[in-house]
Amino acid sequence: MTQFNLYEEEFHPSPLMHIWLEFKRSHFALIGFAILLLFCAIAILAPLLAPYDPNVQNTNAILLPPAWEGNGSIAHIFGTDTLGRDVFSRTLYGCRVTFGSSVFLVLIASTIGVALGTLAGMKKGIKSSVLNHLLDSLMAIPTLLVAIIIVAIIGTGLWNSMWAIILVLIPQFVHQTRTFVREEMKKDYILLDKLDGASSPRIFWSSILPGMFELLAVQSTLALSVAIIDISALGFLNLGAQSPVVELGASLSQSLEVAYTAPWLVALPGFFIFLMVLSINIVGERLRTALRNRLIH
Amino acid sequence: MPLLDIKNLTVEIDTGSEFVKALDKVSLTVEKGEIRALVGESGSGKSLIVSAVIGAVPDHWIITADRLTWKGQNLLAMSNEQRRIIMRREIAVVFQDPTSSLDPSATLRAQLEESIPEELLDKGMFWKRNKQRREIAIGLMHKVGIKNHEACMQRYPHEIATDIAQKFMIAMALVSEPELLIADDSTRSMESTTKNQILRLLSGLNETKNLSILFISHDLLAISSIAHTMTVLYCGQTVESGKVQDLHNRPLHPYTKALLDSAPSFQINLPPKSHLVSLQGTIPTLKHLPIGCRLGPRCPNARKECVKVPEQRMLHHHSYSCHFPLHLPIDEQLEKDQ
Amino acid sequence: MIPVLEVKNLVYTHRVKRSIFKPIDEFILGPINFALNAGETLAITGHNSSGKTLLAKSLVGAITPQQGSILLEGKEAKQSDKKTRNHDIRLILQHSKYSLNPAITVGSILNRTLRLNAELNEKDRKTKIEQTLVKVGLLREHYYFYRHMLSDGQQQRVSLARAMILDPKVIVADEPFAALDPSVRSQTVNLILDIQQELGMAFVFISQNLGIVRHISDKVMIMDKGKVIEAGSSQAVFNDPQHELTKKLIDSHFSLVNKHFEHFEQF
Repeated sequence: MTQFNLYEEEFHPSPLMHIWLEFKRSHFALIGFAILLLFCAIAILAPLLAPYDPNVQNTNAILLPPAWEGNGSIAHIFGTDTLGRDVFSRTLYGCRVTFGSSVFLVLIASTIGVALGTLAGMKKGIKSSVLNHLLDSLMAIPTLLVAIIIVAIIGTGLWNSMWAIILVLIPQFVHQTRTFVREEMKKDYILLDKLDGASSPRIFWSSILPGMFELLAVQSTLALSVAIIDISALGFLNLGAQSPVVELGASLSQSLEVAYTAPWLVALPGFFIFLMVLSINIVGERLRTALRNRLIH
Repeated sequence: MPLLDIKNLTVEIDTGSEFVKALDKVSLTVEKGEIRALVGESGSGKSLIVSAVIGAVPDHWIITADRLTWKGQNLLAMSNEQRRIIMRREIAVVFQDPTSSLDPSATLRAQLEESIPEELLDKGMFWKRNKQRREIAIGLMHKVGIKNHEACMQRYPHEIATDIAQKFMIAMALVSEPELLIADDSTRSMESTTKNQILRLLSGLNETKNLSILFISHDLLAISSIAHTMTVLYCGQTVESGKVQDLHNRPLHPYTKALLDSAPSFQINLPPKSHLVSLQGTIPTLKHLPIGCRLGPRCPNARKECVKVPEQRMLHHHSYSCHFPLHLPIDEQLEKDQ
Repeated sequence: MIPVLEVKNLVYTHRVKRSIFKPIDEFILGPINFALNAGETLAITGHNSSGKTLLAKSLVGAITPQQGSILLEGKEAKQSDKKTRNHDIRLILQHSKYSLNPAITVGSILNRTLRLNAELNEKDRKTKIEQTLVKVGLLREHYYFYRHMLSDGQQQRVSLARAMILDPKVIVADEPFAALDPSVRSQTVNLILDIQQELGMAFVFISQNLGIVRHISDKVMIMDKGKVIEAGSSQAVFNDPQHELTKKLIDSHFSLVNKHFEHFEQF
């Protein structure tokens, strides 16, 4: 007869749940997470939320200050720019492009990077080692520089700049994944899986991948932070999104000439880029701490 | 006066949500020239006792004791400086896994010579001192039984065998000529010939240099071969203490008896491939410590009195903490409690 | 009666390349010969680095020996014949902690083993897993537990469950008791004895603990530097060891035991 173990009644969360609980303990991180969710909402719902079309020019309302200034009007909450376009709508659409494209390219870069890293990790030999060292040396160069070089080769535009940044972000995923997979392959439980008759792909999907989620989450937040900065930087340098696509970095550079007369045109896009990167970094930092604490337990 | 005197040591540790008594009124003493064994399984708090003695307990944990003295000096009242001086010269600790206690990037010679304290060398020019260091190092290696010291000295920790590494750790501990050697599970996962060598070394050191040893282990064979006295620890409570002979011949606490039963070599009449007598259940975790006597849930003799922590009672230098010790027949015990 | 496990002339050469300048280190295991019947226990003991773990790994097929054959119930166990290789002879490792994947539940681990080796549907798999968990002394609820929620002894039981769940003919265990506390060790020993009696399984285990070796093994094999220096029934070897090294091992064990009994005489 099985004895019901009354002493073991305790809440034991799964590893992922554990990370979430650790994460929740910091109020700072929760605020950061809320802001991130807000940006996700904006990215999806911008067309519904924006009061005006961001490209419609209204010559009657040029360089209107934001609503909280003296001569601003509530019709244009963030004011208008040199061509009379509503800054609030432009900011929403800009967030959508900057944030949305960053998320998209991190997804692609991580998928490709993880796939390459796994192949390199599960096979032994000189080839994977050489690949690893090549990628490591590539990672030593700042991502923005490499992205600029790639854009110089393939041409400007939002899609091209995205491809450039995808290529630039892949090495770190490959490196981290390869290290992790190599370490896991040496473990005893993988040996037992092999003895059970599991093939390599099966071992990857059911034994290694579940352990990789946390690592991927942390890597992705880091990559996202880099992607946002790089996309806006490329936009600022006019190498990225071109009109009529609205992008925060691009609108930042367009507003520089009127920076003294209409400071809000520079401050607002800058502030939103800052907010995006800040929230990602807070969330990422807290995730890393939660991961480290979980391993100690 | 005993060298190390611990009485009613209680250590409360912070489990995140509350403070739990990881050690609950633990008492033990080590006299000069004595080898005392501290027997406990994982979760018994034996390493915590070592940490409390050497001063390695985190500050926010609460340590209280009636007595925690070394040669009469109260360890709890000392400053960190004074504690460190005692640790350096008078108490030495040898830990379980020799390879992880040694610096992997330095040769054995470098580590041993570096740890020889200044006070043992004569004043003189530095080359003379280095030569002296070398001589002392070689002397120590011979003392612990490492014969070909030249080959060993040049190697790195990962290149030598475990038994030589453990002997080397003991040599490192002896460098400062301590009065007490604390051996924290140093013979774990060793096979019998190596274990024998280490045990013989320890008991030889005890006899020739009058070195007191606190031998922490759950290997009863090793303990019964070298220790004079032993203290049995379960879940942070001392359950029995006394001379090794007394405890082996007549264990008074059910846990001591269970430990002795777990070594098949101690039972001559046990038919081969038969069940070993064992306690049911598992060692409770820190979050689920039972109230009162912590063996309660697993003890075959447990009754409702066991929710109170039993007091320590003495029987000819043999102390035990049990409401229903094994030497009293059952009806006598019931009478006693009415 | 055909022995359930028979090893003939097994030889394995382990090559380790230390650096470009030093020659390749070679460690030769074998030749190993032995036979084991159903329900019997063979203990393998010897110094560290005597090749015991290599032998265990070659028995289960984790490494392929250069020469020799391993026969399971008279039939040769080939690497290509995954069915027999994984099914009839299974491995338990020393550190149960590292034998379990921390990221997946106990149920998932056992489920995968079953899916790869047994033709059962999902419901039957779950029943089988629960039955096995109960047999090794765990609860049905442990199906949903992760590694960090289990104690040492419980983790060891999960390793045993993983080995047992395919109803193997032989279980090979590499120092299964070394990392356990005495009380947990006794319980695990009793568990293995019970299972052996119930399923008629043969058990090969590596251990340094001569007390346990003497108590639960029928045959014992002493190894040193890759060679078998003495083998035979436990009673014979323990009472009358022939080889120098065996004598040393057994003497040092018994000297410790006898010191214990001396205490009785002093009393």
